[in-house]
Amino acid sequence: MIKHLKILEFAISSLWRRKFKNLGIIFVFSLIIFVLSSILLLTYSFKKEAIAVLEGAPELIVQRISAGRHALMPVEYMKKVEKIPGVGAVIPRLWGYYYDISTGGNYTVMAEYRGLKDLLNIMEGTFTGEKGTCLIGKGISDARFAVIGSIIPIIGSDGKVRRLKTVGIFTDESRIITNDLIIITPEDFRDIFNLPENMVTDIVVQVYNPTEVDNIARKIKQILPDTRPITKNEILRTYDTLFDWRSGMVLTMFLGAILAFIILAWDKATGLSAEERHEIGILKSIGWETSDVMELKFWEGLVISSLSFLTGLIGGYIHIFFFGASVFSPALKGWSVIFPEFHLMPYINPYQIVVLLFMTVIPYMAATIVPSWKAAITDPDVVMRG
Amino acid sequence: METIIRVEKASKCINRGRPNEIWPVKDVSLQIHRGEVVVLKGPSGSGKTSLLSLIGCMSRPTEGRILIHGRDVAKLPERFLTDIRRRLFGFIFQQFNLIQGITVRENIMLPLYPTERSFRDMKNKAEELMKSLGIIERQHFRVKGLSGGEQQRVAIARALINDPEVVLADEPTAHLDTKLSKDLIEILRRLKGEGKTIVIATHDPLVYEQDIVDRIIEMRDGRIR
Repeated sequence: MIKHLKILEFAISSLWRRKFKNLGIIFVFSLIIFVLSSILLLTYSFKKEAIAVLEGAPELIVQRISAGRHALMPVEYMKKVEKIPGVGAVIPRLWGYYYDISTGGNYTVMAEYRGLKDLLNIMEGTFTGEKGTCLIGKGISDARFAVIGSIIPIIGSDGKVRRLKTVGIFTDESRIITNDLIIITPEDFRDIFNLPENMVTDIVVQVYNPTEVDNIARKIKQILPDTRPITKNEILRTYDTLFDWRSGMVLTMFLGAILAFIILAWDKATGLSAEERHEIGILKSIGWETSDVMELKFWEGLVISSLSFLTGLIGGYIHIFFFGASVFSPALKGWSVIFPEFHLMPYINPYQIVVLLFMTVIPYMAATIVPSWKAAITDPDVVMRG
Repeated sequence: METIIRVEKASKCINRGRPNEIWPVKDVSLQIHRGEVVVLKGPSGSGKTSLLSLIGCMSRPTEGRILIHGRDVAKLPERFLTDIRRRLFGFIFQQFNLIQGITVRENIMLPLYPTERSFRDMKNKAEELMKSLGIIERQHFRVKGLSGGEQQRVAIARALINDPEVVLADEPTAHLDTKLSKDLIEILRRLKGEGKTIVIATHDPLVYEQDIVDRIIEMRDGRIR
């Protein structure tokens, strides 16, 4: 035991002797871990956030498709769906997008409906459903400097302006789902977008038994072939793929830089200098075994790689959860005009961290130990003579 | 007299089978007895250092045998050779071969790091040696700041910290002036008095003409003359 502690002590003292080289390696190594861990932490947190957001989402939504595009749905479709055994309630939804010239923002406009009850609990003010009133998200409130009582002018599809009075603002905490949202009454919605009374945007289908959702979706598709039933699971899978794709895209963007760093670190770490070879020769000649030299190099590699790993990982954590992932978020969050200024919850996937550890620390240790091993198994006088 | 080391028809080849193949040691046989001071004498390139390496188990002979206490070490696995090097030999190198960035004391203690001896024990032994060699006040200095003579003493202290039976010295006066060389001879004399066996590779008359030398083995072109 004492022997190993002494070798560890000597390893640390050796690292300190070559502090400039080693600090350089630690810096580069930490930077790689920082980039990789930032992407992993951010992607995983986004996925978790998406799952959390979708928790309150309907199990099944049905949209009408025309020529491969989302089209308005006639209200008669609701009656056909209601008749399917196992279907609880069918709720029509009215929603769309509105481009606001004055702020250059794209808003999501939604008419109030029964399923919004939970959402209406997270706001300041009161929405009574009175015509000409609206609820707005924090992003819109910030962009338009709107407070409760402010008037939001909306240009309808007929070119005329409707003046909606702000009666409520969603809370800051709900930004991720309400940032660019405007809730209005169904009457105002139909008026602004000139939507016929017999049409809805899509329908929410409540199913008694959640395990039957896929069966119900299949039946809806059979009865109404021009519809697209979307289950919550499908959305979750889409989010998963989307964030995987985006993290892959960011990784690709950084691949060149990461590769350059890896080559630099590899070169620094694996190139055994003449001085180091000589030192190994000295140690061997004065009675150090090959295994002792290996242990010394193992400790050196472990100290450098663990220090770099921890620095990079902690840096990545701070970057993602304290500084809002300022480096990568534009690529990973998406391209909506009003970016939600939300703070991610710190979710960590231990499996990913372990994989990252094995993908970086182990290759580094191997890269540093192998050349030392080659020098250490040679006769000491050969190593010392160079 | 007890024979500690026996070399039987040992040869060493470097770069065997290549155009630059050389035989620094060729067909050498000799014996070294306990308590003897033996000088390997010869010009540069005569094979003294290579023979010293073979004797000290730092390299293996290409042909022939090296027997330490009657046991052929040439075919032993590397681990056993290291063990013999650590227990039996203390090396004093021509270039001192100290690790430049660490202190005098750390350099001296270096052979004891991969052992189970405690730090305190190592420190005490190192201090004892530093006192006897007159470098105690330099113990916290980094070796690169020391004079040649001081570095030589550090190298001697390091060679002695394992309390070896045999001290091997390769051109120990090569980088010393006359006074420092004489000081070194006195240290070697003291070691002989303590019963150490000493093998010195040198072509310096200041060393091989000393009365402490029991035997001179002359070498040329890798062979004993």
